[in-house]
Amino acid sequence: MSKPADLIQGTLDLLILKTLALGPNHGWAIGKRIQQMSGEVLQVTQGSLYPALHRLEQQGWVASEWSTTEAGREVKSYALTRAGKKQLARELESWERLSAAIGLIVREA
Amino acid sequence: MPRWIDVLRRRVIALVRGRDLDRDLDRELRSHINQQIDEGMAAGLAPDEARLAAVRAFGPVSAIEEACRDTRRVTPVHNVIRDVRYAGRTLLRHPVLLIMAASSIGLGVGANLTIFSLANELLLSPPTAVEAERLVYIRTGNGSHVSYPGWRGLDESRALAGIAGYSVEEGVNWRGTDVSVTIMPLVVTANFFDVVGVPMALGRGFTAQEAAAGRDPRLVVLSDRFWRQQLGGDPGAVGRPLVFNGDGYTVIGVLAAGVRSLPGYGLAPDVYLPISRRLAPKLDDARTPAVQLIGRLHDGQGMDAGRAALSTVVQRIADGSGDQEFRTITVFAPVGGISQVKEFQAVGAFFLVLLVVTGLVLAIACANVAGLLLARGTTRRRELALRVALGASRSRLVQQLLTEGFVLALAGTLAGLAVTAAVALVLPRVSLPLPIPLDVRLAFDHRLVGLAFGLVLLSTMLCSLMPALNATRPAVVSALKQEEPRYVHRRLTLRGLLVTGQVAVTALLLVVTVVFLRNLTMTRSLDPGFDTEQIVVAQLTFVEGRQGPLDAPTVERIVERVRAVPGVMSAAFAEGVPLTLFSGARVGTAVRLDGAEAPVRAEYHANRVGLGYFAAMGIPRLRGRDFQASDRAGAPLVAIVNQAFAERYFPGRDPLGLRLQWEERAASPSAEIVGVVADSKYRTLGEGREAAIYTPYLQQRDVERMVHVLAGTAVPPGALAAGIRDVILQTDDSVAVTVQPMSSALAFAFLPSRIGAVLFGIMGLLGTLLAMVGLYGVMSFGVARRTTEIGIRMALGASSRAVLAMVLKETAVLVGVGLAMGLGLAALLAQPLAAFVVADLSPGDPLHFAGTALLIVLVSLAASWSPARRAIRIEPAAALRSD
Repeated sequence: MSKPADLIQGTLDLLILKTLALGPNHGWAIGKRIQQMSGEVLQVTQGSLYPALHRLEQQGWVASEWSTTEAGREVKSYALTRAGKKQLARELESWERLSAAIGLIVREA
Repeated sequence: MPRWIDVLRRRVIALVRGRDLDRDLDRELRSHINQQIDEGMAAGLAPDEARLAAVRAFGPVSAIEEACRDTRRVTPVHNVIRDVRYAGRTLLRHPVLLIMAASSIGLGVGANLTIFSLANELLLSPPTAVEAERLVYIRTGNGSHVSYPGWRGLDESRALAGIAGYSVEEGVNWRGTDVSVTIMPLVVTANFFDVVGVPMALGRGFTAQEAAAGRDPRLVVLSDRFWRQQLGGDPGAVGRPLVFNGDGYTVIGVLAAGVRSLPGYGLAPDVYLPISRRLAPKLDDARTPAVQLIGRLHDGQGMDAGRAALSTVVQRIADGSGDQEFRTITVFAPVGGISQVKEFQAVGAFFLVLLVVTGLVLAIACANVAGLLLARGTTRRRELALRVALGASRSRLVQQLLTEGFVLALAGTLAGLAVTAAVALVLPRVSLPLPIPLDVRLAFDHRLVGLAFGLVLLSTMLCSLMPALNATRPAVVSALKQEEPRYVHRRLTLRGLLVTGQVAVTALLLVVTVVFLRNLTMTRSLDPGFDTEQIVVAQLTFVEGRQGPLDAPTVERIVERVRAVPGVMSAAFAEGVPLTLFSGARVGTAVRLDGAEAPVRAEYHANRVGLGYFAAMGIPRLRGRDFQASDRAGAPLVAIVNQAFAERYFPGRDPLGLRLQWEERAASPSAEIVGVVADSKYRTLGEGREAAIYTPYLQQRDVERMVHVLAGTAVPPGALAAGIRDVILQTDDSVAVTVQPMSSALAFAFLPSRIGAVLFGIMGLLGTLLAMVGLYGVMSFGVARRTTEIGIRMALGASSRAVLAMVLKETAVLVGVGLAMGLGLAALLAQPLAAFVVADLSPGDPLHFAGTALLIVLVSLAASWSPARRAIRIEPAAALRSD
């Protein structure tokens, strides 16, 4: 199980943005989705998820509003803003570069 | 919406609606937990177990909330707001501290702001004009004024967009409904308003066409003050006829209120008249100085380009006229700002010294507050230590204490602004003993606001940084126990530093104050070289072309009548009266001395006087004879010189019988020196020995429009004023007459030193008073704090004499070091100060230093003596318990 400290901060931002690119979602579900999509490898704790969400919101990359789930729970739902979409593209690109570079090194060794 | 606006919007929301966001955050996290519970129950857990599991899985709620809050990045701002609130509350609980500190800083800041705004208004602010940044003061080698043809040549060259001329004239007669009064006009060239562009309240300024000198223009623009005071603010003033010097003029406009005039220094001419041959009979003479120059640069033309363009023009004109002085441009300076014009620089230096002094006053005020805060810091040690123990960092505590200082400084500065505003309100109503109209308004502009803000920050740092650092010195345990480091004797304490610094600044200030106060008394006792007690001065301004010719016999008839007034011993005509604004001309010209081949350049004061002038003035005749009735038009020219002239230009020779010939009047016969009189003062009391030439006005073809009749009296001169005025008006009721005793006519001469003495005196006394109070407070607090130590020493057998000696010795060291520093600085300042005081007074006089030292030693003694006495009288047991 991955501890939050193992997740590079920028990576968590990327994961959240990527998750929200599939559609607006609330904190609990974002955490769940990251966990599922990573094949239960990545587990994001609340201690890093919520500060990350709030930071992204402060920077204008996501916007939030209250909504109600099918189960009737009030949740705060986050959605990508236009600036957030651009930011996601940028972060994806730099992630590709980084992982390619790391991949080269790792395979070389 | 651009992202940065979005970000900014969020920050602002976070700042002002933080509580709503906190509630929202709480709700969000709760919702998360609820969903976790839902999931647990869906997985088959009992509700309680599901809740427990969810909460456990979630982690530390408050830590997560804190982390989320931190993402808003407004914590530092919140801290500041909290600090300000806390500081406000604390200070309100200690109103005495608040009032003392705020009034102390307020006085210091008020003094600074007032002096600065005065300097700002008089020296830095440009005259009121359209696009004043394109205006330049221009002077040629001829001096401040150029001739009318010279001006015309410059303006017509179009080297600049326009060049106008103006001249402050001595006075014209305005004939009101029942009396004639002398008012001060600004005589201007026709294009003045076109070039300068002055805002008008009513009507407009005259144009170059309608006011051309050749058309004998009879138009006038009034100042706001003249319009209000003399015409009662008549809304229909435009078009109204007014009589100046017996000629009818038509009002064409009224200047807006608060217009700063071109001559500067707050001078506000009553009326603006277009120059004409009527006002300046020698208008077309290329050698008669007529106007000062103000130019407007072409749009886009720089200073250097303008100066270069004008340089070629003056050279061309000089080549044409042969006037070599006209060749060069000596001044080409933007209006406003620190000017290159010499007179402005002298006043600027005066204000600079004054600002240094007021700065010192503020420094002392801040030192006082620092002393107060330092004392409070020691009594607050427990509170601060408790906060450190509860986890406050030292930087947060210092920030908190600085905030307190900031609030004090802010309160003080607001009080200071109120002081300045009060001065600004009072100032226009103060009438100085000046024969010229002044209008000084203090404006609250960006410079003043900037300075006020700077002073807030400066005084915050000065008064609270040291006490804050001192009070938060990490010594938690002993502070919690409210202990002083009792038996530690530290050589260099903060308080010691404060005392030393304060003594130094006080010493400096006291020396400056003493110098200026002595200057005032010495100026009063300076001998002007003539009688000032038993003389009446009548100033007459004639209207040309009325009641027959204005010539010497007419004036002589007036003098005869004055001489016949009972109580008048002697009466004499004089064109100028020394030490008044109309002291005659100071001439620098080429003179051929007694037939010498080459003329020399002589500088002297020139005055044309009548029979009996020296007797009436009480100026002793040293050699030769006085003027006599036979020295009249047609008779050989004669002159009388003063001793300084004789010694300077005829060294080692007997001047009697020698001849003077003025180079510019080469055609006229030379004048014979028939007498030598004693030196006296001519323009200022502080001047050195100046040369002077007197000539008989009876040999002069025309008489100036403004002249004086002097009457030596046997009775107090005030009693005769009305009688003399009446007999003059009987001869010619169109003349404007001002009659006053010589002593009040001389008020003008005393004005600069009096203003200097009053300003420096107020600052010095204010600063000294503040410093003495502060010194007393800091020193007595210092001694009182050692009560316990003194108790122990007494208990261990120290004699009260020994304890007193110990306390006094320490005081002596602190005060001695401070005195040495302060007096050393004052000695450095003595040289520049000498420029502002009369020649006989040396600012470096040891007397000033000794007196200052004595006063400070006395105050320090008193300040440490009484607490020390109190300390040695207490029972040792009680002293040990006290703190």
